[in-house]
Amino acid sequence: MSEPITRRKILVDYRIQASRCADCGRTYFPPKFFCNTEGRRSRMNIVDYFHSKGTLISGSVIRKPTNKFLQLSSFISGIFSFKEANVKVPGRITDYTLPDGELDITRFIGRDAVPRFRRLYTDGSQGLIYYSSLNFSFDDDYYPYQEYVKVEPSNPSGHPGIVGYGVYLPKFRIKNEEESGLGVKERTVPFSDEDTTTFAVEAGKRALIHAAVDSRHVRKCFVGSESTPYAVKPSMSTVCQALQLGEEYEDGFLSGGIDSQFACKAATDLFIDAAALVAYSPFGGEYVMVIGSDNAQAARNDPLDFTVGAGAAAFLFGKRDVIATLDYYVPYTSDTPDFYRREGQKYPRHGGRFTGEPAYFKHVVTAMKMILKVSGLAAKDIRFVVSHSPNAKFPYQAALEVGFERDQIEPGLVVRHIGNLYSGSSPAALAAVLDMADPGDRILMTSYGSGAGSESYIFTVTKEIYKKRERSIPVRQQIENPHREYVDYNTYREWKEMI
Amino acid sequence: MGTPVGWKVKPYAAIIGAGRTAFGEQWYKDPEKLLMEAGIGAVESVDSGLRRREIEACYFGSFLYQATNKLGLVPGYMARELGINIPMNTTEAACASGGSAFYNACIAIRSGMYDVVLVGGFEKMTDRSTKIIDDLMFAADPHEFDAGFTFSGLYAAMMARYIYDHGHGDQRCTEALAQIACKNHHHAINNEYAQFRRELTVQDVLKSPLIADPVRLLHCSPVSDGAAAVILSKPELARKYTDTPIYVVGSQQATDDVSLCTRESLTGIKATRLAVSKALKETGLSMENLKIAEVHDCFTIEEALFLEDSGFYGKGKAWEGIYESYESFNGSKHIPYVKDGGELIVNPGGGLKADGHPVGATGVRQIYECFEQLRQGAGKHQVEIDGDLDLALCHNVGGTGGIATVHILARDIP
Repeated sequence: MSEPITRRKILVDYRIQASRCADCGRTYFPPKFFCNTEGRRSRMNIVDYFHSKGTLISGSVIRKPTNKFLQLSSFISGIFSFKEANVKVPGRITDYTLPDGELDITRFIGRDAVPRFRRLYTDGSQGLIYYSSLNFSFDDDYYPYQEYVKVEPSNPSGHPGIVGYGVYLPKFRIKNEEESGLGVKERTVPFSDEDTTTFAVEAGKRALIHAAVDSRHVRKCFVGSESTPYAVKPSMSTVCQALQLGEEYEDGFLSGGIDSQFACKAATDLFIDAAALVAYSPFGGEYVMVIGSDNAQAARNDPLDFTVGAGAAAFLFGKRDVIATLDYYVPYTSDTPDFYRREGQKYPRHGGRFTGEPAYFKHVVTAMKMILKVSGLAAKDIRFVVSHSPNAKFPYQAALEVGFERDQIEPGLVVRHIGNLYSGSSPAALAAVLDMADPGDRILMTSYGSGAGSESYIFTVTKEIYKKRERSIPVRQQIENPHREYVDYNTYREWKEMI
Repeated sequence: MGTPVGWKVKPYAAIIGAGRTAFGEQWYKDPEKLLMEAGIGAVESVDSGLRRREIEACYFGSFLYQATNKLGLVPGYMARELGINIPMNTTEAACASGGSAFYNACIAIRSGMYDVVLVGGFEKMTDRSTKIIDDLMFAADPHEFDAGFTFSGLYAAMMARYIYDHGHGDQRCTEALAQIACKNHHHAINNEYAQFRRELTVQDVLKSPLIADPVRLLHCSPVSDGAAAVILSKPELARKYTDTPIYVVGSQQATDDVSLCTRESLTGIKATRLAVSKALKETGLSMENLKIAEVHDCFTIEEALFLEDSGFYGKGKAWEGIYESYESFNGSKHIPYVKDGGELIVNPGGGLKADGHPVGATGVRQIYECFEQLRQGAGKHQVEIDGDLDLALCHNVGGTGGIATVHILARDIP
């Protein structure tokens, strides 16, 4: 497909854009210039269904797909109706694995379904990657529908921090059959149409819903990852377009941002920048979004192949209605070649089994100790301590070494159930403890990126957290979701290899 | 019930000759050669003879030639093959390309512009068969392609909704949609040009591989190569060429949204409904006057929908009519649809399902079939009924219903 065609498709497909007659309300997908009922002089407004819920009105199981969809093998395609506008769109059911034998599609008719931002197909290994929100998962399945309600913000608190967050964990899991001593029992697995960019969009969508802020006021977005689908072309611009970050202007948005890379701390390194930006008046925006997203890579049968997960966590920073103020920050960096991936190589390499002592522990422990020193706080003053989690053993040992105790460490060790999310690892752990934190709690978060560096943050939770909690899907709830589905090793490798 | 008393109609044109190729895989024939074979067959079938140079214009229908054979400018190819330099037009309307070319040719004759024209439809679908599933989706909205749909998938969505709305859990509904395939295969047994000449049982259909649930392989028309052609003349000149011309008394086309999802209904084709009603109105006929119909059965559900869209059966009632007709049949040749004591034989040569479906050729092949049937020239698969076989209807659909053409042919005119 050509680039101009792709651009035109993006404008419609990312948000499920339609046009609605201002006079009679009739809605058209794809958008039309005029209303068939009201005539050529009708006034048409652009509307979208990105945050809506549809209903499956019919469909079929595609068992002999077009060449573009061969990688998905068999799947359900359907026609969905958005009730509020009586507009129908085609879409594909995602996050669904077909049972053996004939499927009675009529039993799915009438089920509500939620648009998901997913990958459609690619133009080979060198061409463009196509995304769309015309993919749906059932509302009564793994991820329920969440309404996006914007709440008028209060006056600035004066102290920047986190105003909302969202974690996206894929529906699929793989169990580690043998206990390796690393404490990872099971891990998240991307469905065959997911990648780092789709995780980032879904996590960002949740952060907006949780924060209840208007996406037009998000003026900057950072996407940290080490598994971006493109070597050159940012995931950030896709996130921006899909989430409509910033004021819209001539099909673009008055916002900025970048993809960042520093192994597993590509996102967290920018937390301080995000907080600083919203406090800096020339920035001119209310909010900055930082997303850590990875389809964590590992070569087949590499030790990492039994700890890597997939998913994303997004954090919105601002000055209004802050749920956790960012109070202290200490970074620590050295040129330590513990883990790396050369340009063009598919998988990272690492110097030893887990490059723990001279790399992870040195940086994490140093940053943690330094931030306690700088803040004048002691371990007992911290309610939760979370760290980058390549496994459950490392963050536990590091925290113990600094003087923390089990009940401060354990709530953040979600790695046991979701695996190592690389750039999303410590952000997901932070989200997990925010899910249960109370006003006044202090949280110490320390990230780690190979190559190598760490930074520690101390956040203090505010009473705002209670107001927003009902709008989040807690990490623990996602971990324990009864609709999660387990796949075998070959399926896990197959789906993971599709990035 | 044949032509009504006092029936008056002004025909658009007369069909004076027709030809076709066998349908199926034609490994050794280029698309233009197929079209030539059918065209020359049509010319040579004219009883009193027709010289090439009497043809004043050509109307071709084809859908995928640019994708399947990487060729364009069909008129240039055909000027070379025919050795004449007359006006030629190519119509693309997906699977209704042939019907639409014929529709355009009828307008040309009726306008007085030409006395004699050739209409040809062709398709060469097997030359690049590995991408034919993708290519067929040119006739759908790109959003449907991006939703993963295939053509069989789109029709399967229509079939699923039909079963959901009207089947009410009755297994006979599913069986009726299989019986359509069985009937059309039965009709093709004696059709020498048909792609498939073997009987099917309902169980054969219901146990065939799933393509797009609920559509199975034997619910689908095949991928085919082939061509068909007919010669049209002014009605008043027809008897100069043959003593048995067949008249085009109704010629209608209607359109609708290209995308299935934006249409009013998943269980009806608005374009069919409009084209049939206009054709019946302009001829003063009703469905009960017709004895045979060539119906676009690209998937069996489409034939069922036609029976409702045309008004032959009531909305949601076609499957019951199909089931009862099939189960009560005790003859040996053509299986009619029965309604209130009347009968309508649909797809007497096997339809798209068994005769084959080289998409651009189909609409013209339907005209060919009815031309031969009305002239009692269909050979071993000639329809035999009580009374006159004097009227026939041809129904050709493009895409999932983005366009439909309906033509009514008459053996005699008042």
